[in-house]
Amino acid sequence: MIDLLTTHYNYIASILLVGIGLYVVMGSPNLVRKVIGMNIFQVGIFLFFVTTGYVDGGVPPIVGHSEGPIVSPLPHVLILTAIVVGVSLTAVALALIVRIYNGYGSLDEDVIKEVQVDD
Amino acid sequence: MTDVQLTLFALLLAFVIFAALAAAFLRDILSAIIAFAGFSFGIALVYVLLRAPDVALTEAAVGAGVTTVLFLLTIVRTVRPGGDRLFERIKWGPAAVATALVGVLLTTVRSLPRIGDPNSAVATSEVTRYYLENAYPQTDVENVVTAVLAAYRGFDTLGEAAVVLAAGIAVLVVLRKEVYV
Repeated sequence: MIDLLTTHYNYIASILLVGIGLYVVMGSPNLVRKVIGMNIFQVGIFLFFVTTGYVDGGVPPIVGHSEGPIVSPLPHVLILTAIVVGVSLTAVALALIVRIYNGYGSLDEDVIKEVQVDD
Repeated sequence: MTDVQLTLFALLLAFVIFAALAAAFLRDILSAIIAFAGFSFGIALVYVLLRAPDVALTEAAVGAGVTTVLFLLTIVRTVRPGGDRLFERIKWGPAAVATALVGVLLTTVRSLPRIGDPNSAVATSEVTRYYLENAYPQTDVENVVTAVLAAYRGFDTLGEAAVVLAAGIAVLVVLRKEVYV
């Protein structure tokens, strides 16, 4: 297990981030914090992808400027797209949260459920 | 992988996970947002170490910049629940589920190739090789990531722009600002 920490550290970190993100999405009653948790979950997956493209002693995927093996550009391209889609998702989620606050006067999941029952 | 680089990775990853935990457990939501901004910036530095400058720039600008501004705008327009205590209480049910997921995923780590393995499936992939060899001769762009994003996968990037447009319209509609649409 210790040798895995020195050879697979990024994968372990990304799994921990996914775990933290899932906990926040499930466990936090505050809607804004749930969106933060969703972002942490996403970043865990992004880190996993970008790590798969890395090569020992590699140089950035810009040809003709430095010697050495070039890291794979493929995961970088996929994750660039994913980051932009992620921020769009966050924007829509936060707009919905503002509307929910205007309707219910609270961002607390439990309070919102109580108001719904009372109605 | 040199020792210096390994130490850098260890320090940065420790910072990133610490910041994520702070964002998860700080009771004050503004503190959590600031911790999240620090988290995004730390992860951008990790991308630099992984030789992904394009991803690092995007993460620093979009993750640490735009996302943080969106969160701040949200708490300006809603409420910032104050705290009588510094940290949230741990909820054991969700914590058990998250721990179970982490445990299951950790069992798969051993079967992944080590970080930086030049013989890994991604590094030796036919697609990777094709882009690295042909991107410059075919598109005249030195940055392979840009070449793939704007040329080979141009329609995918157009779709991405459509997603951003749809999100912008959705935000305006949800906030009842249709006059701008």
